[in-house]
Amino acid sequence: MPLDPVHDLGLRLIKKALDEAGHKTILLPPDLSLDEILKRAAEQKHLDYILVSRTIGYGAAEILARFMDLAEATGLRKKTKIAVGGMGIDVKLAAELGFDAGFPSTTTPDQALSYIENRGRLFQNSRQTRIIRNKTDLTKGFSYKFHQDRTQQLLEDIADQILSWAKNKTSPGIERARIKEEILLCEKKGRSSDSSKIKHLRTRYLDLCDPEIAHSYLGQNLPSRTWKIPAQRVKNFQRHIRKLCSQLTLRNPIFLSQNPRLFVQIGSGSPLMDIVHMKICEAWGADGVITICPSSSARHEGLLNGLLNHEGDGTLLTFQNLLLIKKFMAKGTLWGIRAHRGLNSPEAVLYAGLAKADLTKLNFFYGSLGAGTDPARLVVDTLESIRLSAKFGIPFDVPSNDELGGIPTPMSFAGLLVMTKVALRLGAKPILKPLFCYSPWIILNEYMLDNYVDFNAAKIKALRAIVDAPLWVGEPAGFMTHTEDRIQSAVTTALHIELARSLAVQAVTIASTDEAYSRGVINLNPRLDSMKAVEATHRFLGQNQISPSPKADIWAEYLISKIDEILSSARERKDFIRCLHEGIFGGPNEGVYPGRAGRNTIREKA
Amino acid sequence: MADSALGRVVDGLDIETFLLCENEEEGRNQAFLLMKELGFLQADVIFCEYIGMGVRVRMRAVMNKPCHHYSWLPE
Repeated sequence: MPLDPVHDLGLRLIKKALDEAGHKTILLPPDLSLDEILKRAAEQKHLDYILVSRTIGYGAAEILARFMDLAEATGLRKKTKIAVGGMGIDVKLAAELGFDAGFPSTTTPDQALSYIENRGRLFQNSRQTRIIRNKTDLTKGFSYKFHQDRTQQLLEDIADQILSWAKNKTSPGIERARIKEEILLCEKKGRSSDSSKIKHLRTRYLDLCDPEIAHSYLGQNLPSRTWKIPAQRVKNFQRHIRKLCSQLTLRNPIFLSQNPRLFVQIGSGSPLMDIVHMKICEAWGADGVITICPSSSARHEGLLNGLLNHEGDGTLLTFQNLLLIKKFMAKGTLWGIRAHRGLNSPEAVLYAGLAKADLTKLNFFYGSLGAGTDPARLVVDTLESIRLSAKFGIPFDVPSNDELGGIPTPMSFAGLLVMTKVALRLGAKPILKPLFCYSPWIILNEYMLDNYVDFNAAKIKALRAIVDAPLWVGEPAGFMTHTEDRIQSAVTTALHIELARSLAVQAVTIASTDEAYSRGVINLNPRLDSMKAVEATHRFLGQNQISPSPKADIWAEYLISKIDEILSSARERKDFIRCLHEGIFGGPNEGVYPGRAGRNTIREKA
Repeated sequence: MADSALGRVVDGLDIETFLLCENEEEGRNQAFLLMKELGFLQADVIFCEYIGMGVRVRMRAVMNKPCHHYSWLPE
C-alpha cells in the first residue's frame, strides 16, 4: 500500500516475491486517500498484513501517524499487522508510531518475505548471503609459451648469462634467510629460544645484520619511530576484533564469478590497524591484500623481530606481524607480501612461504634501478628469492618500473620478460604486472594526452602478443592519475579497473581516494570510496567492454619492436650486470640510477 | 566500545564542504578555522579547490594514529 502520489516500485518488487512464494497479495494504487485505503482494507475478510511504503520524506511522520490513528479507530489494528518501509522512513519513528515493524530503505524483497513467513518476527543484524570465492591460482591455465622464436631465444640467452654469472655467488641476505629458516624450524619443533642451537643460529644471524638491527635483538633500542606493541593491547585487540568480526556483514566480491581479482595494498605502520582495514575491505568485496613494508627497512641488512609498530610508509616485515595479520585473514583472501627491493628479499620470501602467503613480488630491475639496491646484489638475492618462491609454491608478480624516473615502457617491459624467463628456468610461476600508470615517460611523449585507454590497452596487447602469461594491473591501477579530489580519484580508479576487466587481466590493485595525499596514512573510508566507485561503475557496464581505438594496436606493435631491440642489445653486451649499470634497461638518461645499498657485499660461495 | 561517538572513529574524521571566500588561500585559512570551531585543533587539508565564489574543501582530523592507542579499543 503506497502512501505516495506515484512511487510504488518497492511494493511491486515485494509483491512479486510474495506471489512467487504462494501468498495472496493485493497491491493498491498510489495516490489513494487514507479513507479509501482503510475502506479497501475493511472489505477484505481475511487480512494478515498491511505493508505500507512511503518514499517521500516530507510529511511522512504526519501522514503515518494519522494512518495508524485511523487504523486503530476502525479496529483494523486488532486483526492485521501493519509494517512500514521505504526511503521516506525513519525506522525509529516507525516504532514510535506503533507500527509492528519498520524497514529501512535497504530492505530487500527477500527480507520482507522472511518477515511475512516468520509471522512478523524481524531478524536483527541479518547477514547477507555472501558468495564466497575460493582462492584461485592466478597462474593456472597459462602455458608461458613465447609466441616468437626470436624473442624466446633472446631471453634464453640473457637468462643463461644471468644464471651463469650468479651461479656461485651468495650474499648476507641469502645466508640470513637460510639461518632464519633453521631458527623458525627449530622453534616450530618446540625448541626453547634459549636452546644452544637457536642461540648459536641467532648469533650467526646477527653477525650478518646491520648494527641497528642486531642491537634490537639484544634488547637495546629499537630503530627510530619503531615501538613494541604492548602485550595487553594485542590481547585486547584480538578479543575486540573477534567480537566485531562475528557481526560482520559481508558483501559479494565486486566481480563475482569473473576476473579480475581485486587487491588492496595495506601497510599503515601497525599490524593492528592493518587488520581492521583488511577486515573491512574483505567485507566490502576485496579478493586480496598486499602487505606493504617501509622502504627504509629495505636498506638495512636484517629484519627486526617481534610485534612492532612503525611510523612510516608501511608495516614492518616481522614474522610476528605477519602471523598476526594472517590469523585474522578470511579463508578466501589472497595475500601477497612484497620482496622486490632491498637487502632482505630472500628472507621476505621465506616469511611469505612460512606465513602461508599466496603471492610475493620480485623484480631486480625495479629494486636496482631507481629504488636504491645495488644491481649485482639484488640479482643474486632475487635468484635465491625465486628459488624460494618455487620451493613454497608461491607465484610472484613482477611489477614494471616505468613509474620510476622516466623509464620508457619498452625498457620496463623488456625487464619484465627477462624476469619471466629467469623465473621459468628456476621452476617458479611469474605474473606480469604492467602498470596502468600516467608515468613520466608517457607524459613527456604525450601518449596519454587524449585518453588513458589506448596506451594502457597497448601495453596489454603487446605483452599478450609476446607471451601467454597471467597479467595483473597495478600498482595501483591508474597510478599518477589521481588527485586529492575524492570524487575524481574514485572515478579514475574505477575506470582504470573497468579497462583492466575489459582487457581480461587476472587481477588488479585498487587505490584508495587518499592515493594522492602524501602527508598522512591512508584512512579506511577512502578505501571504501574507491571500492564503491568500482562497484557502481561495474554495475553500469556489466559485461560491456571499454574498447580502445586502433591506436592501441599501433602502439602495441611499437612496444614489441622496441622490446626486441632492447633485448638484442642486452644479449650482445654479454654482461648482464653491466647492462644494468650502462642503462640498457634504464639509466641516467631516463632519470634512474643504479642503487648502492648492498654494493660489494656479494661473494663467492665457499 | 568507546563512550563517545567520536571515540568510535577508526582513524580519521573527514569534513567536506563548500566555503564561501575570495581565493584559495582564504578558503584554506577558513577551513582550518572551521575545524578549530568544531573542536579539532589539529587538522589537515586533504583537498582544496577554489571555484567561483568559494572553495570545495576536505579537511581531516586524525582521531587515531595507527601506532598509538585506539580510542575504540577497550583498555
